[in-house]
Amino acid sequence: MAWTIRWLEHIAMADAAFEVDASSAEEVVRGATQALIESLANPVTVSGGWERSIERTDGDISALLFDWLSEIVYWKDAAGVVFREAPLTLAQAGDLWLLRARLIGAPVDYQTQELHADVKGVTKHLYHVSQDAGQWKALVVLDV
Amino acid sequence: MSDELRVNTDMNVNRISDEIWEIPMSEKSGMLVPARIYATRNILQSINSGVFDQVTNVACLPGIRRYALCMPDGHWGYGFPIGGVAAFDAQEGIISPGGVGYDINCGMRLIRTDLTLADVQPHLERLMTELFRKVPAGVGASGFVRLSREEFGRVMTHGAKWCVERGYGWHRDLIRMEEGGCIEGVDASVVTDHAIQRGINQLGTLGSGNHYLEVQVVSNDRIFDLATAAALGITGHEQIVVMVHCGSRGFGHQVASDYLKVFEKSMRRYGITVKDQQLACAPFRSPEGQEYFSAMNCAANTAFANRQVITHQIREVFATVFGQSAEALGMELVYDVAHNIAKVERYPEGELVVHRKGATRAFGPGSPELPEVFRQTGQPVICGGSMETGSYLLVGTDHAVRDTFGSTMHGAGRTMSRAQAKRMVRGGELQEQMQQRGILVKAVSMSGLAEEAGFAYKDISEVVESVDRAGITKKVAELRPIGNIKG
Repeated sequence: MAWTIRWLEHIAMADAAFEVDASSAEEVVRGATQALIESLANPVTVSGGWERSIERTDGDISALLFDWLSEIVYWKDAAGVVFREAPLTLAQAGDLWLLRARLIGAPVDYQTQELHADVKGVTKHLYHVSQDAGQWKALVVLDV
Repeated sequence: MSDELRVNTDMNVNRISDEIWEIPMSEKSGMLVPARIYATRNILQSINSGVFDQVTNVACLPGIRRYALCMPDGHWGYGFPIGGVAAFDAQEGIISPGGVGYDINCGMRLIRTDLTLADVQPHLERLMTELFRKVPAGVGASGFVRLSREEFGRVMTHGAKWCVERGYGWHRDLIRMEEGGCIEGVDASVVTDHAIQRGINQLGTLGSGNHYLEVQVVSNDRIFDLATAAALGITGHEQIVVMVHCGSRGFGHQVASDYLKVFEKSMRRYGITVKDQQLACAPFRSPEGQEYFSAMNCAANTAFANRQVITHQIREVFATVFGQSAEALGMELVYDVAHNIAKVERYPEGELVVHRKGATRAFGPGSPELPEVFRQTGQPVICGGSMETGSYLLVGTDHAVRDTFGSTMHGAGRTMSRAQAKRMVRGGELQEQMQQRGILVKAVSMSGLAEEAGFAYKDISEVVESVDRAGITKKVAELRPIGNIKG
């Protein structure tokens, strides 16, 4: 994997914040997705069985990532699921970024899954996605 | 000991009194009013730097009146600090989801009983197990109430009244809720499908984070105002009470997210600039402002309904465990109060949109907005501490109406990050320690439990002393936990 996640302790004390460093825009989205999935439950303990294919386009990578992470939080509540993985691709076509993802998980099960926080929202607090000398960075604060 | 004030900011912080501190308008460009923090010197010195920055950012918002305020339980939030109070002119001012919080009408509810510790102690394990089973908590929890979209629409418009009409509670419960558990005149058509889908299955669920259901004891020596306590149904003698802390769950969060997006776009049109994108706002009288206000009130009603369904479940469990009806057990509601909400209220400045984010309304005795039952006592204020310490019942005062737009604190306030708390204790270890101290904890997530350890919070007694001494709320009783359910 070409991304690293760093959990940030001293911002948003009551919530959860992370920073992803990655070698590409696609990897930064993968890293942020993984961090969110892990915030909800240990993915190793989540089987499959529930799946959604999701496509998103946006001219702004920052807005695209924000909407995608928000969509994951939405499905957590709307379908009552937690997630095992979300294989995805990110492509650029002209001015637009195109995200294609499969969100894979299972209904919440207290007996078999190691559940973590009930993330309630992705916030714009300190939120940013940036690129510098080929390295991508995203900072995300989750409301728990 | 040095008298030098050591605060986590470079701004000038001036002492107004032992419990009130002011940051003058000269400290940040764009401040329209000074900022005031209610805290003892000790608490003020422990408040993190983000709070000073955020409360002074709030002081820059259009139409703000008098002061941007922060209560002693204040900590770094999104846009507004948690513990923040700000009032904006209803004609010229704004409304901001950041000033309400994501969990719209997150609030507290307290239920009294005629039971004593001696009655409950032998059954505590069974009681907590049953409560844990009947009141779903944690990630993705769904409630037992199955609703069509049409019926969920009625929950949005009728709040706790809907519950009582469906048999989830008693008619007399409604009088003991802020707004009677139902904010009238809302337009549910402004709520998105996404918000409805997130909320439709969550009625009667606690959630996670700092939300909880707690069985508590009131001892005689921890009642500070016997007459007021008695008027509120608190009699002491190791009396058992039940406290609930939760809000509008995913539904309220989606409403907040949806309208932050709307406001980010509309701010340009209205020529509003803010110092933090989480302060996105709209003129209160604009179409966007009115739509958010209506959607926020739908979420507030849903939160009243959520706590009402939970109350129904609590009563059912107590009735089963103790073999008597909830009525016979004296399980009357003491009060239900919001601490994340915006309301239109009248003050000497005129009609104001008062934002309370992690702050509680605290109207004094005689206030015409209060129902008859609270005219003598003042508005009850329920403040939750950490699950290891205690919680408090207080009442509002005339001073609060005069000084803080009728507002006070809501809880202890965090002093430590979740990750740091988890490094200091494991959930299982904490559960065991608490059990040894007579507090039985049931938790969905052990890591979530560790995050809520008592040492991660301010000393609630000192926080309560701040508001009591400042005169904006009066202590009534301290409530000691013996059983806790966490998500």
